[in-house]
Amino acid sequence: MSEDDVLSRHFTRRDVLRLGVAIGGVAATSAVLAACGAGGSSAVPTLGPTAAGATPGATKAGGKLVIGAFEDGALAPFKSTILPMFQDATGTTVEFLTEPYDSFFAKAFQDGQSKAGQYDIYIMDDPWIPQYAAAGILEDLGQHGITMDADYPGPFADLGFWPPRQGPRVKGFESGDPKLIALPTIGDLQTLTYRNDVFTSGAPATWDDLVSQGKAGVTAGKVKYGFVFRGVKGNPIVTSFYPVFRSFGADFFDDQWNVTFNSDKGKAAADFFVGPLKAIAPPGVAEFDSDQEGAAILGGDAAAIIQYSGNAIKSDDPAQSKVIGKLDFGVVPKREAAIAQIGIFIHGVSASAPNKDNAIAFMNWFATNEVQTALARAGDLPVKTPAFTDSQAVTDHRLLPVALAQLNAGAQARPRTPDWSKVESIIGTELNVALAAGSGGAAAMDRAATQVKDYLTQQGYF
Amino acid sequence: MAAATTPGTLGRTLRGAGLDRVLPYLMLGPAIFLVLGVVVYPLIEGLRSSTGFFRFGRMVRSVGLDNYRQAFADPAFGEALLTTARFVFLAVTIETVLGLGLALLLAREGRFVRRIRATLILPMIVTPVVVGIVFRLIYASDVGMLASVAHLFGLNSPQILSNGDSAFWGLVILDVWEWTPLLFLILLAGIQSLPVEPFEAARVDGAGAWRTFVDHTLPLLRPTILVAVTLRAIEALTTFDQVYVLTRGGPGTSTQLISIYGYQTFFQFQQVGYAAAMLFIVALVVILASGFAVGLMRSRGR
Repeated sequence: MSEDDVLSRHFTRRDVLRLGVAIGGVAATSAVLAACGAGGSSAVPTLGPTAAGATPGATKAGGKLVIGAFEDGALAPFKSTILPMFQDATGTTVEFLTEPYDSFFAKAFQDGQSKAGQYDIYIMDDPWIPQYAAAGILEDLGQHGITMDADYPGPFADLGFWPPRQGPRVKGFESGDPKLIALPTIGDLQTLTYRNDVFTSGAPATWDDLVSQGKAGVTAGKVKYGFVFRGVKGNPIVTSFYPVFRSFGADFFDDQWNVTFNSDKGKAAADFFVGPLKAIAPPGVAEFDSDQEGAAILGGDAAAIIQYSGNAIKSDDPAQSKVIGKLDFGVVPKREAAIAQIGIFIHGVSASAPNKDNAIAFMNWFATNEVQTALARAGDLPVKTPAFTDSQAVTDHRLLPVALAQLNAGAQARPRTPDWSKVESIIGTELNVALAAGSGGAAAMDRAATQVKDYLTQQGYF
Repeated sequence: MAAATTPGTLGRTLRGAGLDRVLPYLMLGPAIFLVLGVVVYPLIEGLRSSTGFFRFGRMVRSVGLDNYRQAFADPAFGEALLTTARFVFLAVTIETVLGLGLALLLAREGRFVRRIRATLILPMIVTPVVVGIVFRLIYASDVGMLASVAHLFGLNSPQILSNGDSAFWGLVILDVWEWTPLLFLILLAGIQSLPVEPFEAARVDGAGAWRTFVDHTLPLLRPTILVAVTLRAIEALTTFDQVYVLTRGGPGTSTQLISIYGYQTFFQFQQVGYAAAMLFIVALVVILASGFAVGLMRSRGR
């Protein structure tokens, strides 16, 4: 049949139906094969075996494990060291899938709710736990024999339980025994990074010290700004405000979820934040996010910043820092206390995980002190006390003892409610307005308090 | 051996079985199911969600029209709607004026005209997130391009993104940079398809360039302008990526468009019902505005 014949041929309805049946058949067969994994190839890169040493508590399980996470620099050692170790020890093929922070939060939650089974393990930020746990999409790890041993520092350990072991509980979860629904795995918390040529006698002990010595550093021409922080509305500004706010002795809620962040201490902290602290910060700090904050300290412009450990470890990287040897770490300054924010990585097993046994095996394995020590030596913060004091890890990573000191001085998680992101958004918006104006911190806290109270009432808290 | 079935016998067989009347509907079936599944079902599910109170990702009870009432009483929603309307009006107006001006300038074939046209459409094909990042690098008060230029002249860095008004205008300028090419392209196509007779007659009558533009070009181009403005306005209502990268809706709520507020309400705050109600209200406003624009277009066309 010539090309012209084909083009000039009239198709009958029967031809069309035959073609449709054929295409449908091929499509259906492909779909079935794909669902059964007969295709055999995955677009997702998997990690190949490595020559890592023997690892504890692992048995040769084989099979597959899909771990989902949000993108974060602190997960680099986990990916490059820990996952290959697990593959080596068990023969399990690990798929490590990452998405941007917001995107993964929504995607993983949807996966759990729809029971799609795309992931076996979710690597979450600890504030996600109330939302995920309350929705019932995380496996009860206690039922699989996983327990929280005494080597976990208290502030980390509490985050794995739902309903919370202490503090206020949200409506619907007032009673009931706390269940272990997630395991803290990779530590992360705020510490102070400061210039040792500006703060010559060590980390500033109080906020007033930080302001006065920071100003002196600017006057002496050593730095452009005494302190730099994140001022963008929402999560960034509240994260920067947190250590000031908590160190002033303020708290967000009482045990009945009554708003307390506009207490006298809270207002004093807010006024200090938008006043004296802003005065030694860049004029446009209300638009600053972590990239600009990091650039200011690594570029030599800032005398001090408070940042999470994933960013702090860049201080010793000659490729990123222009002030190698001039940056030291310390506990955050205090007023009544020296409290930093915790933001750890926490692993939960999806209730609809297709490879649940492998997921449980991984959790058990990752929780051992030996693997946590390997994590610390690889450059991440561990979550178990013995790993913080491992001599090799401490020699290689000088942030470790400072992080432990901060844990001992005071480190707190954000309030454990699924509505925290809304609360944070309200406070962050009002505080951002006051910061841009350079005054009115106390009034901002009052405005935010009214809105938060209305919102919580609407959500049935009272 | 059964006789071969011909189209004629098939038709008789179908008629005999009474299937010939059904067959057209059967043939339409897949398309109808597709439309029902992809368009109608999500709409119905969205409407159902908009009447529910959600907690922990699940609908816990129906609240009737409470979410809609809440939207009308929510100052943040009203403010976001107003900010969006202001943004759309300013951005689309400037884009239309600039797009029309460029289209008139480049409507005639010339030596470098094709290259200029090709260059002009480049901003439109850049990913919105990248546009946001580029403008953040331009506006940033510490290391931004504008700050560097200001320092060259011994001036202080402009604080564009840390001031409400300037951040809003910064966003409008970003949008104008990105989307003026779209208006330019549509209006250029419109100008090139205009009949030549009225213009020749005007020239013979001695009409000047401005008179010709006001009396002929603009009236003849009006339907094209309306289509372009309607399309662009609908698109501008959904602006999200650039704002998220540039300001996250701040400082305060000065650049909080309805898309940002809706996104936060749905994904971050998990207020599914309320977010659905808000977005249905916005959809209704868009449909009404589009209907008005189409009606206007038809009435002018008669």
